[in-house]
Amino acid sequence: MSSVVIAQNVSKAFGSTKAVDNVSFTIEKGRITGLIGPNGAGKTTLLKAVLGLTDCQGSLTVLGLDPFRQRKELMRNICFIADVAVLPRWIRVSQMLDFVEAVHPNFSRKKAEELLSETKVRATAKVRELSKGMVTQLHLSIITAINAKLLILDEPTLGLDIIFRKEFYGNLLNDYFDGERTIVITTHQVEEIENLLTDVMFINDGRIVLNASMDALPEQFAELMTSGENADEARKLGPIFEREVFGKNVLTFDGVNREKLSPFGEVRTPDVADLFVAKVKGVA
Amino acid sequence: MIGNQVALVRRELWEHRSLYVVPAVLGLVLVMGAVTGQVTISGFGTHVDMALLGATNIGVNERGAGLSLLLAAFAGLFVIAMWILTVFYSLDSLYAERKDKSILFWRSMPVTDAETVVSKLLTALVVIPIVTLAFIALTELLVLLVTSIWVGLRGADAWHLIWAAVPLVDNWSATLLVVLAVSLWLAPFVGWFLLVSAYTKRSPLLMAVLPIILLPMLERIIFGSNLLSEAIYSRTSSIPIFKGYDGLELFDNHSLLEAAKEGISLVSLLDIGKFLSSPGLWVGLVVCGLFTTAAMYVRRFRDES
Repeated sequence: MSSVVIAQNVSKAFGSTKAVDNVSFTIEKGRITGLIGPNGAGKTTLLKAVLGLTDCQGSLTVLGLDPFRQRKELMRNICFIADVAVLPRWIRVSQMLDFVEAVHPNFSRKKAEELLSETKVRATAKVRELSKGMVTQLHLSIITAINAKLLILDEPTLGLDIIFRKEFYGNLLNDYFDGERTIVITTHQVEEIENLLTDVMFINDGRIVLNASMDALPEQFAELMTSGENADEARKLGPIFEREVFGKNVLTFDGVNREKLSPFGEVRTPDVADLFVAKVKGVA
Repeated sequence: MIGNQVALVRRELWEHRSLYVVPAVLGLVLVMGAVTGQVTISGFGTHVDMALLGATNIGVNERGAGLSLLLAAFAGLFVIAMWILTVFYSLDSLYAERKDKSILFWRSMPVTDAETVVSKLLTALVVIPIVTLAFIALTELLVLLVTSIWVGLRGADAWHLIWAAVPLVDNWSATLLVVLAVSLWLAPFVGWFLLVSAYTKRSPLLMAVLPIILLPMLERIIFGSNLLSEAIYSRTSSIPIFKGYDGLELFDNHSLLEAAKEGISLVSLLDIGKFLSSPGLWVGLVVCGLFTTAAMYVRRFRDES
């Protein structure tokens, strides 16, 4: 009941390439899940399937609906930003609000106007006259003013400067997230959203290589910083990935007790970006 | 459903400003023509100056006929402009949103693809004709007003000579029926344009026109028949709405003037029953429906990456 997305054996192929290959997962209500993967890993395809923008094989249920066949019903309770600057360039801000107000039963124009009044976006401006950052502010204001159960952000801050990105995620947490709503985010800048997430899902070559809650990561994964003979000894414990930092060897372990590792050097929890590289590039 | 249609059609008018800017400019040009005396009533076979309209030896029927012909000529200009606008509008309607990548935003709203495509069809077949009619009526009123001032300045009684003689309501009713009928009659083309607009990756105009030219040629080469070219030609050259005429020759041989001189209303020249019972209309609407449905499926199933 509290599962927002339930995917069972979901696949999607374009010709002979499988963009999404037999993927199964659930996303629970109230979670902020980071969907992380390299370019072409199948993130966007998977999100499109969840949004009902593309058909797929397997069983996919979003908010209890079949996304492809019940897209209209679904869109009352889902918001998404697919990419920045996809708003129609010819429309005026006020027209945009008029339109969303007319077609969206869960949209609060008052809230959108409140949010916009804190920005430089004027109601009479056309989207083409706004900077990229302002377009994103407009889009985010509209989305935030929609009382949706699931928010999907696909590279929402691509091409924006760092100040804006920080603000974006700050606003997302303060204005949007209330524990009832569920958010799925993809981004290349993992380190910026790491503190936000409650769950991470790694996807590579259309397959999910890791699906874990952030709280569970320290229990499962450890990173050992070591060198020389200690490194050789530690390698016998079966690291999933190894890299070199300032002449030291950093070994990433999956499911190896930290007490076994600590004699060989400094042990800590890998950050999401490093863990991602380890899971994708390392031999699992 | 209906609320969504209103919002969607309004959206179309926001995006495609040319739908009212073009008729507004055309109307403005005609009104300016009247102000500068360029537009005169030329329906009497000879070029007639405004002053002649005041001549008392022309009867009320002839004055009405002359004015009707002038207004019909105005309406004709607007209908030509309307069709050019409709072609470009329908070719652009499902192409622009993909080209500027805003389609994902539109599809993030709780609106089905079918509703969106229907709103574009409605805009092309109903909204554009009604907008056109509104500009025709406004232009005609302004031109008649300007003409009244001309006539008045020459000491004649404009109310009696113009406003009492011109059958405005009859003209407008006939114009409304004709613009709607033309739209419905040419609906299969609109359906085809919508499909091309939803499907093509580039140059919708070329992609829409090429098959219309090439397929009849292929038919002739392969089967030696002319069914397609006849179907296309007969549809663009005639419309079964005028009483006693198959096509537009009503306007060619002064029949309209003759009819108007006898005080016959323009509406009575139209045969709505014949139009509505003509198989060509319904075949065309079915073809339009098939193309439109295909456009809905293309919008729904196409993966924009």
